[in-house]
Amino acid sequence: MAPVTAEAETPDQPPHPVTGLDDVVHQRVRLGILTIAHEARRVEFGYLRTQLQLTAGNLSQHLGVLETAGLVEVEKGYAGKRGRTWITLTTAGDAALAEEIGRLKQLIARVETTATEDR
Amino acid sequence: MTTDSVSAGDDPRRLLSDVRALAHRVRLDQRVTPVALLVLAAVSLVAIPIDWLFLNADCGRATIESGAPCHIRGLSRGFYWLPALLLAYSGIAVYAVRATRARGLGARVLPYVLAGVALAVLSAVAWVLAFFYLDPPPADPFPAWVMVLDRLIAPAGTIGVALLVLAWLERHVALLAYTLGYLALMLVPPIETFRIPPGLLGFHTFFLLPHLMSGIALLLGGIGFAAARRWRR
Repeated sequence: MAPVTAEAETPDQPPHPVTGLDDVVHQRVRLGILTIAHEARRVEFGYLRTQLQLTAGNLSQHLGVLETAGLVEVEKGYAGKRGRTWITLTTAGDAALAEEIGRLKQLIARVETTATEDR
Repeated sequence: MTTDSVSAGDDPRRLLSDVRALAHRVRLDQRVTPVALLVLAAVSLVAIPIDWLFLNADCGRATIESGAPCHIRGLSRGFYWLPALLLAYSGIAVYAVRATRARGLGARVLPYVLAGVALAVLSAVAWVLAFFYLDPPPADPFPAWVMVLDRLIAPAGTIGVALLVLAWLERHVALLAYTLGYLALMLVPPIETFRIPPGLLGFHTFFLLPHLMSGIALLLGGIGFAAARRWRR
């Protein structure tokens, strides 16, 4: 992950939205996993793999990062004889996703404001 | 989507647009609109012969000549509509859970099912209260707003109000537009929709028109949404 660099802030200015971005959440695939899990309430491993176009190993790695951070819960079960893995968003995951989306919106607003001022 | 690590400098607009697209995809895969409409259409159409058998309309010549309003009592609302709607909403819930689970997702219909059940119970309670407290009926006709409220809490009206909840849950603009049209059709009395004089069809048939309209509207809606879903795939 590239280091996050923010502009120097004066004491009166609010911190740049980039400084608050969480590396665990601010990653395209992990953000996708959290979004799908949020909308779906509960999502199966195979659905995530299809939607995000990942290999099983890759998806497992990302899920491991999110599970270690306490943002998702992974539950293994069976549907008939077939093993199935279900992923659920935790309360912390829900909050982290909302915060990330809020920061992305702030970032867009900030970029647009700067672009307008530069004209 | 790629597995590359994304720098904080990555375009936030693109990230946000990806998030929205994924959320939309999940919502599409969770939709159960056609099945819900077709089940409710079946309930409305089956109600027609049942209502016809158990509708007591006192609109005889003596009543009309004396200028008194018709005295209508539809008994099927007590024993058909409540169990039929409870069964229908339970069936929709079971179908939604099974269908979305098969697609690898959780279901989102619980608030819709609860709203539908609550409205069906409210409709039955209103019917019981009217049955006991409006007998004999008041001499003067009810004001227009009471009649609109009456049609809103009639079974066909409650189906429409619950569909508004489903449209919100599924973020389904087409379903919202359809439901508003459906509610407009249900809230305006058939005499004004079709300009049919009540005597033309006979009072029994005339008072069954709302069920027929509701059943056909739901059936067409169910077929339309199912065709749209198939076409999208």
